[in-house]
Amino acid sequence: MYHVLGIDGSFPLLYFIWLAPLVGAVVLWAFGPRLKSLAGPIGSALIGAAFVATLFSWNDATAISGTSAGAHQSMFSWLPGFSFGLLFDRLTLVWTLIITGVGFLIHVYSIGYMAGDRAVARFFAYMNFFVFAMLTLVLSDNFVGLLVGWGLVGLASYFLIGFWFERPSAVAAARKAFVINVLGDVGILYAIIVIVSKVGSIGYGATFAGVTTLFTPHELFIVCAAIFVGCAAKSAQVPLHTWLPDAMEGPTPVSALIHAATMVTAGVYLIARCAPLWTASPDARALVGAIGALTAIAGAVLGVAQWDIKRILAYSTMSQIGYMIMGVGVGAFDAGVLHFLTHAFFKAQLFLGAGIIIHHLASEQDVRRMGGLRKEMPFAFIAMGIGVLAICGIPGFSGYFSKDAVLYETLLAGHPVLYGIGVLTAGITAYYMFRLLFVTFFGPYRGNVDPSDLGIRHPELAGTAQSAGHHAEEEKDGHDHGVHAPAWLMTVPVAILIVPSILIGWLAFGGENSPWKRFFAPVFPHASGAAVAPIPELWSGIIVLVVVAIGIAVAYWRYGTATAQAGSVERLRLESVRMPRILTNAYYFDAAIDILFVRPSRWLGRIFGTVIDPMVIDGGVREVTHTAGWLGHLFRSFQTGLVRGYALYLVFGVACFVAYYAWIGAGR
Amino acid sequence: MNPSLFTVPMENYIALSAVVFFLGVTGVIVRRNPLIMLMSIELMFNAANLALVTFAKAWVNNTGHIFAFLVITVAAAEAAIGLAIVVVLFRKRTNVDVDEVAVLKG
Repeated sequence: MYHVLGIDGSFPLLYFIWLAPLVGAVVLWAFGPRLKSLAGPIGSALIGAAFVATLFSWNDATAISGTSAGAHQSMFSWLPGFSFGLLFDRLTLVWTLIITGVGFLIHVYSIGYMAGDRAVARFFAYMNFFVFAMLTLVLSDNFVGLLVGWGLVGLASYFLIGFWFERPSAVAAARKAFVINVLGDVGILYAIIVIVSKVGSIGYGATFAGVTTLFTPHELFIVCAAIFVGCAAKSAQVPLHTWLPDAMEGPTPVSALIHAATMVTAGVYLIARCAPLWTASPDARALVGAIGALTAIAGAVLGVAQWDIKRILAYSTMSQIGYMIMGVGVGAFDAGVLHFLTHAFFKAQLFLGAGIIIHHLASEQDVRRMGGLRKEMPFAFIAMGIGVLAICGIPGFSGYFSKDAVLYETLLAGHPVLYGIGVLTAGITAYYMFRLLFVTFFGPYRGNVDPSDLGIRHPELAGTAQSAGHHAEEEKDGHDHGVHAPAWLMTVPVAILIVPSILIGWLAFGGENSPWKRFFAPVFPHASGAAVAPIPELWSGIIVLVVVAIGIAVAYWRYGTATAQAGSVERLRLESVRMPRILTNAYYFDAAIDILFVRPSRWLGRIFGTVIDPMVIDGGVREVTHTAGWLGHLFRSFQTGLVRGYALYLVFGVACFVAYYAWIGAGR
Repeated sequence: MNPSLFTVPMENYIALSAVVFFLGVTGVIVRRNPLIMLMSIELMFNAANLALVTFAKAWVNNTGHIFAFLVITVAAAEAAIGLAIVVVLFRKRTNVDVDEVAVLKG
């Protein structure tokens, strides 16, 4: 049973949730320099308040009345069919809880992480602005409002990736992310144009009600595909994923909040929101499911080849979002959203754990120069260890439930190939995450080893092209590591995240009667056709576990054994040198984009600059002035200034008239 | 048209009008004294008036008479302006050769 969206009513708390972060952003922007150390607490408090308000609104979101589910607050109407309002249903509730809840923890963490930075207030203003933009995206009750939020989160992401704008690489990464995201915005805009022309409204309700009557299957596929272009750009799906690893140039809390937990999952949200469209379009399900699976495995394989701790996590994010997109793509909406929920916790935790390490090691990000940190930083080890267990899908941890749900429902939806790819990806994920764990926390500390002995001399071979120049510049970026905020600011948020990282998955325990399934049963349509699974869920779980165990075993054999730990320097050097170039170059996607789009654009620019502009445009203007000048010269010669000359012209004209009429008269 | 209204043949009026008109034209083009040029212009006006009155009589239609009066009015206005220009010219320079006054040459 599928419910129409939203019970109309007055919900002032929704305005509060939505606008509190905006107030924070404006205040911090306007008075930032004066607030100094208060900026972080103010920004965090407003996000925390929004989180509390979200909790108080829980019953509004879960309310069901007749055929409506959730809360709907009308705001204003622009034209017939163009009404704007806030929609707060179960799907939005999940996202809002993560955005404000995890967002609050990351804000608190940032107070510690960013202490001593030159522009703390600017950082928190951007962060609050991001939360506002993301809430605009998920709270909108129509496609245009969604697109506004969609564009604003892209802008916030641009601000925050380029936060350390003294660094050319950060500026380049920010620009790249923005350009690719705008490409996605255009896709969604196109979908909106088609929807408005077919439905005559931008509202979700009107669109979904007319899915089967107003659209032909072909048009529906076009709409889904155009929407998915936006999802692919925002959620780093192949081939629009290349901005995400570069986005790690931003501060680590930004990576945790925007490029792991919330913004990059906007694509998952949009597909889940547009569930009726996907349910009605098998072609769209096949396309999106396949792209999701491809992204999952492509990201995981690239994760194997990275040395930068944040880039490893970035590729794992890409891979995990691939799972989510595969889940929602094939029609397993609740499974995909569950994976979003668990991933938001454990990936934020992994990033924040990595942030603690990076902070402690004075901005060192290369795992080859870490090692043995288990004893020095036991808390980071525990936090990241639990995150790794969760992401690998060890039974009992949250990732186990969500990943299994996604995989098994993909199989149920009739996609055995995608299922196989997903299972394989789970194994690779286990391998590279345990590799990260072993290399970072076990063996000897290698921070004082000469980089060339670790194979870092050749950054182009090692896949950490940026990291070489990074550290020298790091000292100049105004991040004074002498200033340290109280340690609890960074540890407590991570400690809080550990709890849901372990437990949240249990929501999905109990098959069809699990709390999660029952929670989403009223809002998600079920893909038609009760599929018969080729294998029972238990077997599927066992298969995944075996593959994951193999992945962990390989990682242990390569990095975890006593001999491997003892000889880690030589081992890492060899691995760095021997790493296949196709992996260190990320399948040459950047090179391909360069050849296919960047260079043709440059050529076009050069043609316009050297031929079209100087010759056609400027030449045209010059020709017009020339002609005008020449004509002026010609006519000026008649203006002799002699009155009798003018009289002669007159006589000549009169003679012409007379001759003409004489001729006419003669012809009569 | 009723040629019997004329005691002198109508063609004579027209021929006189044409002759006077071309005298005027020639005067304007040939002479360099502005006063003489104005007088020549006056000749052309009167040639036109003669033609108008002739045709008005021939067609038994008063429009021609009316236009003759209009032309007289225009001629008066023209004479006023023209003479004003000539007076100004006299004040500005000693000789009044119109060919010398070519300041507005392009």
